[in-house]
Amino acid sequence: MSGYQYLDVKLKLRDPESVTLTPVFLCGCILNSLASVFGEIGGQTSVKIVKFSASQQRSVFRVPENFLQRVRIALSLIGYYQEVPCHFQVLSTSPKRIDFEDSEEEVIAFI
Amino acid sequence: MVRIKNRYIAVQIVPYAPTKVLYLNDNTLTKCLLRNIEKYYGVYGLGMIEQGFRVKYINERTKIAIIRCMHAGHRFVSSILPLITLIGDVRAKFRTLYIGATIIQCNKFIIKHQKKFLDREMGQLTSAKERQDLFKRVMEFDMDR
Repeated sequence: MSGYQYLDVKLKLRDPESVTLTPVFLCGCILNSLASVFGEIGGQTSVKIVKFSASQQRSVFRVPENFLQRVRIALSLIGYYQEVPCHFQVLSTSPKRIDFEDSEEEVIAFI
Repeated sequence: MVRIKNRYIAVQIVPYAPTKVLYLNDNTLTKCLLRNIEKYYGVYGLGMIEQGFRVKYINERTKIAIIRCMHAGHRFVSSILPLITLIGDVRAKFRTLYIGATIIQCNKFIIKHQKKFLDREMGQLTSAKERQDLFKRVMEFDMDR
């Protein structure tokens, strides 16, 4: 049986003003990293954004349980977001759906 | 003392256009395999197999090669072999013949494989003339049709 895991991820940028932060770009950045680290066969998974907040630079991802390890490796190895040095901080991981502690208005929710 | 386990993969290279001699050397083959492993399994896959990876033997007339890799990552290598269609600049495919733990076993298998091929081909022919022709072709390594 394979369920899903939810990841609460915060993007920390050196220069937050010079990038356009959208859910699609963020997802693409992670998928690119997965493809370069694990290749076309090993890096194919369904990463889905559940919640996204541009102001807090935080998002909640849903990944298949057996891909959690690979996604976390790929997340740690990301060094650039739109050519701006950055790193990802995984705030929490859970098998249940997670939410931001302080739900604000500008949060975009998917599904 | 820790023993290093290796796997030897015997492959046959089947070119798209029948040719007598393959103009391939071990270096081209190694580069092609490593490039494909990076494509399909990324830098992780490359790192897993790079140590101990070597093309031990390549015969450009019988078109058989032996690839050595570490036991830990041999599945990365054996699983991408069917996906390769271009070796160097030759359009060809790989036929995995045998995966063994020692090069001697691989060698034995290749000899047996060639003998079996000869027996099968000889058995299908009826006239002595055809047999002589086949024998000549085999001796000249012109077996592709």
